[in-house]
Amino acid sequence: MDLFPQFLANGLVMGVFYALSALGLTLIFGLMRVVNFAHGEFYMLGGVSGWFVTNYLGLDFFSGLIVVAAFMAAVGWLVDRFLIERVRGQGEEPGILLTIGLSIFLVNGTLLLVGPAPMKVAGAVAEGPLFFGPIAVTKLRLLAVAVGIALIVGAHLLIRRTRLGAAMRATFQDPMAASLAGIRTGHVYAATFALGCTLAALSGMLLASIYSAQASVGGLISLKSFVVVILGGMGSFAGAIAGGLLLGVAEAMWGGYVSMGMVDVIGFVLVILILLFRPQGLFSIRTERA
Amino acid sequence: MTLERNILLAFLAGAALLPFVVSDQYILHLAIMALFYAVLASSLNLVVGYVGEFSLGHTAFLGTGAYTAALLSTQAGMPMWVTIPLAGLVSAVFGFAIGAITLRLQGPYFVIVTLSFAEVLRIVANNWIAVTNGPMGLAGVGQNLFGDVAVTDKAGFFLIVLGIAAVALYLSYRFVYSNAGRAAVAVRENRYVAQSIGVDPFGTAMQAFVLGAFLAGLAGGFYAHYISFVGPEVFRFAFMATMIIMVLLGGKGTLIGPLAGAVIVTVLEEYLREVQELRLTLFGLIVMAIVLFLPNGLMGFIALRREQQAAKPTLNAAKERTV
Repeated sequence: MDLFPQFLANGLVMGVFYALSALGLTLIFGLMRVVNFAHGEFYMLGGVSGWFVTNYLGLDFFSGLIVVAAFMAAVGWLVDRFLIERVRGQGEEPGILLTIGLSIFLVNGTLLLVGPAPMKVAGAVAEGPLFFGPIAVTKLRLLAVAVGIALIVGAHLLIRRTRLGAAMRATFQDPMAASLAGIRTGHVYAATFALGCTLAALSGMLLASIYSAQASVGGLISLKSFVVVILGGMGSFAGAIAGGLLLGVAEAMWGGYVSMGMVDVIGFVLVILILLFRPQGLFSIRTERA
Repeated sequence: MTLERNILLAFLAGAALLPFVVSDQYILHLAIMALFYAVLASSLNLVVGYVGEFSLGHTAFLGTGAYTAALLSTQAGMPMWVTIPLAGLVSAVFGFAIGAITLRLQGPYFVIVTLSFAEVLRIVANNWIAVTNGPMGLAGVGQNLFGDVAVTDKAGFFLIVLGIAAVALYLSYRFVYSNAGRAAVAVRENRYVAQSIGVDPFGTAMQAFVLGAFLAGLAGGFYAHYISFVGPEVFRFAFMATMIIMVLLGGKGTLIGPLAGAVIVTVLEEYLREVQELRLTLFGLIVMAIVLFLPNGLMGFIALRREQQAAKPTLNAAKERTV
């Protein structure tokens, strides 16, 4: 039996979560220029706090999602106001070191509190599979993908249609002019960081309902999010989505047809090739070069 | 310049006496690891401090060196005096190839692409079982120095790593105060001005990068023999994070900084073992505190104090002459 459609479907499912997490990073890395190595840890915290609210507080999946979103937005806001703000405008290095420190702190703090065991977030629906012709997808995955897509659309509307979104776009075009026009850029930076952090966390919680959350998962997620952001082009919203789907499908195909062990190498090879031959990203119209 | 040289010489001379004074194996082990990290941090500092680009892929060279030495030793039974220099050379070749690709990029792109190379090598080491033995790693790396003469105690290993550190510091010193090193600093400070006076940014960056790779390879080769085991975790980000913290804590762009950083971090990590579970959590907090409160590292802090001192008219004359 030809498994191609099945691999494609699996790849697209993973791709949605890569896209969601990378959207968060494209805001933080692409627009704010913070090389955020704690991004995967925000993702991990989303999964772990999702597990906490559904298992210990007994909330159902959707109210849990809202609580986690609010909590992680607050975390992101505080991280920006107390840490990132102090190194803003000093180039990449302090930001890299700061977020590496933050990520070491978050991983080991989480390990200390909840231990290394995998944690399952209670899903909203039962596990049963659905068949579309030759493709099998579980209901849980389908729901998680639907929520993921809704979140992507929501983030898009937030940036395009609200006053906050307009303030963000103005700030990242020209911070000086924006603050002259009365935009409180400090708040805008914090809000952007909080939004990026929330998107990563929700991606983590959704995936933890399909697989499980683990304290040590963050490092690889950070790297893959960077890969997707560079594939799509820095700060490009559509690019992050397309890059996420591309990485998901490429990994599923490689895993299906070539070798399972080397799956994670795909993203890095792609990123090396992209930076060599098309440094502005696959989908970026702006010609910002590396 | 002379002050820096004298401090380095005094440090090496003091370190050479250590195995004759201290016989505690545990302290010698710590000293060996501190010197091993000092070589690594100095080699990373050539790229981060003098080229001014932030490489997160330095473990690629550490790992390449470690695997080279381990393979030469386990497959061909070669002694250390052959494997460690060869490990450095193979790493330098890798450095040349990777540098030719990555040094075209700057800023965050350079960061990510160097990291990607290290990750690719880690995944290859993890999966190319025929050569690297995959996640099981290469065990039983020999500990013979020449022919059949084996290094049996920590004092012997200490003297070897001290020799490597001396080579690393000497080469770094010669590079930094050569025309190429000064050209690299010019590029770091202002790329366009440097280009306008005829400095080739790519070429000078390449020299520093290859030298850094060579030294990291030497360190990797030593590591393989000392630990006597090499697995894919030599490519892991944890090594990278430790190296960066050492360089930045000590002060990048100075020769003494990474050395001081390596000693402090090695001792600090051990000291924090007292609070076993909290250890890494505290470590993360300390890293953040360094970035926020000591942004130019210890050497930057000392330089600042010296400037303040020099500004006071009383101490001036005597101090200036020694600088």
